[in-house]
Amino acid sequence: MAILDLLSIGRSSLLAHQRALTTTGNNVANVNTPGFSRQRTVLDSVAAGNGSGVRVAGVEQIVDELLEGRALLQATSLGEAEARRELLDVAEGNLPIGTASIGSALSELFAAASALSTHPAEIGVRSDFLARAETVAARIRSAAGGIASLQREADERAAGAVPEVNRLLDRVAALNATIARAQALGENANELRDQRRGALDELARVIGVRTVAREDGSVDVLARSGIALVTGTNAARLEARPGSATGVDGRSLHEIGMVAPDGSLIPLGDDPGGELGAHLALRDGTLATLSADLDLLATTLRDEVNAVQTDPAGRDLDGVVGTALFAGTGALDLEVALTDPRGIAAAQSSSTGDNANALALVALQKTSVAALDGATFNDYFGSLQARIGGLAREAEEQVTVERTLADAVAAQRENVSGVSLEEEFTDLIRFERGFQAAAQLIAVADRLLDELLVLRR
Amino acid sequence: MISRVTQGSFVRDLLRGLGRLEKRIADAQGDLSSGKHVREPSDDPSGVERASRLRVESRELAALRESFSFATSVLGLQDATLDQAEGLLSRAQEIAAQHASGLSTTDARQQVAIEVADIERALLTLANTSFDGRYVFAGLTSGPTPPFLQLDDPGFDPLDPYSGPSQSFALRAATDETMRLTTPGDLVFGPAIAAIDELRATLAAGGVPASSFEALDQATDVLTAERASIGARARRVEEGVVDVQSTLLRAAERIAAIEEAEVTEVVTELTRLQAALQATLESGRVLQSSILDHIRF
Repeated sequence: MAILDLLSIGRSSLLAHQRALTTTGNNVANVNTPGFSRQRTVLDSVAAGNGSGVRVAGVEQIVDELLEGRALLQATSLGEAEARRELLDVAEGNLPIGTASIGSALSELFAAASALSTHPAEIGVRSDFLARAETVAARIRSAAGGIASLQREADERAAGAVPEVNRLLDRVAALNATIARAQALGENANELRDQRRGALDELARVIGVRTVAREDGSVDVLARSGIALVTGTNAARLEARPGSATGVDGRSLHEIGMVAPDGSLIPLGDDPGGELGAHLALRDGTLATLSADLDLLATTLRDEVNAVQTDPAGRDLDGVVGTALFAGTGALDLEVALTDPRGIAAAQSSSTGDNANALALVALQKTSVAALDGATFNDYFGSLQARIGGLAREAEEQVTVERTLADAVAAQRENVSGVSLEEEFTDLIRFERGFQAAAQLIAVADRLLDELLVLRR
Repeated sequence: MISRVTQGSFVRDLLRGLGRLEKRIADAQGDLSSGKHVREPSDDPSGVERASRLRVESRELAALRESFSFATSVLGLQDATLDQAEGLLSRAQEIAAQHASGLSTTDARQQVAIEVADIERALLTLANTSFDGRYVFAGLTSGPTPPFLQLDDPGFDPLDPYSGPSQSFALRAATDETMRLTTPGDLVFGPAIAAIDELRATLAAGGVPASSFEALDQATDVLTAERASIGARARRVEEGVVDVQSTLLRAAERIAAIEEAEVTEVVTELTRLQAALQATLESGRVLQSSILDHIRF
């Protein structure tokens, strides 16, 4: 009966528009919810005879999966760049410029040697030379200590990221299970997908990952090296264990990997990416190299100065051959072994006016040292400082680049999935009108039915 | 290509713009408050390396300047001492000339021998001149025993009165070379002491000092030659001081050019950034305009 069909059509329209209004309302409510992707009610005409109204085919999320993949990659690059910048900022702080630098202390040491060559027998000048040597040793020790602490910090940050990675892997696996179940029952799992995307974003900042979608709605998560971190509802477990490698401070460094069924650790590869990858790369690369360079500076300075000081031809103020000025095995423990200023071998005879050995000490400042690739001490330190400055600057610039790219991806994501109030309120008016029209349909059908009943009386 | 502008993108763009401007303002303020454009190695890695090299050079030159200052004092003292020594020799030559003809009496010659002995003592005292406790004609050595024995000391030998070192004192005259600052005392005073001692002994014995005049003349030539040498070294030191001063000045200017902030430029940039910040904040008011202002429910 056509009038009853009209009633039914009106009813379907009322329900459909009510649902559309609900979806719009939900979008408006989540306008400021981080990670929320706007949703759209998909209306479909009911095809039966001349038409039997409208039905809700589903509520879909407006998401570009390719863009989501790029967002994950960008989160990894940004996390890596920011972690690198942060530690390199601290590293360059250990090699300050100006009067507080190792270079300045070296200059003062050689200036004191110059004064010693002018006044070889003066105890005050000799004491000043020893004090300057102590300043050089203290500055090198301080810089090396700072780098060693930073390497330990990088190691601890890398190890500290493991529980967070495990938590996020568990979360993704749990959401996979919930989403697959909802999808199987035909329920709406859009909010759960948003939550999973949020968890993956967080994970990607810490470690480089890519995802592979499954038919049941779940996603597998793979590390950069290709090892599976999440397979459906199963999450792998990462672990940080004391490894065989040692840090600059002599203590064991962590070995990080995925726990295999037999309990062994499967390495994450050479470049796991993200903050974790940046911390491991700094720990094993830049900071270890910087530390080795400071060691080379310290041991070469020790050897070259001691060679002059203990030269068999050299004589101290008491006319005997000098003993070593510097002692230590590297930058961390470089120290001044000589305590008596009379012990400085400034002469090459017992004459109090002899300054031949002091002049040899002064000449060290201009000497190209083979162990330092032909550089002088100051030039070697200058290039070391410029190198770490260059790395810090490059890291800063990389952060700017990665942030710009991340902003561009976020803008595109917002472009596709963000909530626009203008759009939503336009839809609100549209669906309200639809709802009102459906109500009018029912009213008309009602009046027609009344008319029919009057005819029967 | 952005085709949809949402509330989220409005806010993100605004915050990003504000963040960038605030960072640049903070950098400019840092430049102004410290007066430095380069405050850490990453601000200008190659500039830091150049400035570091210039600082090393400056400190080395400053140390050289201190050496030159010491050299100027020592050379000045040597010159003044030798000037006095020349005066003593001149007086001795006068005495020798007066008594060389044999017209004076034996008594007169024995009397004047006392004055010559005083001249010899004065000359030996001059030969032991020290600066800051260091003997300027004995390789700048120090110690309680002077390099020249005195006339009345036991064991005094006028032909070998010097016990100081035979080496000269070498001073840094440039970053990679040295300069002789002293001459061993026996080479400077040896002929003069021997000649005066011979004059004194001849006169004291009542003899006629016929050959002393020539010996004194030759000793004077030695002192004059040493003074000329001192003058040459002093000129080299003076030139060195001028070179060091001008190089230090240039190095300081170059360090400043690398590290110091150009205040006028920074202030202009700061003003521009503040205007941009205000404009950006003003543009944020657009966010307050919404469809909600235009529709009625």
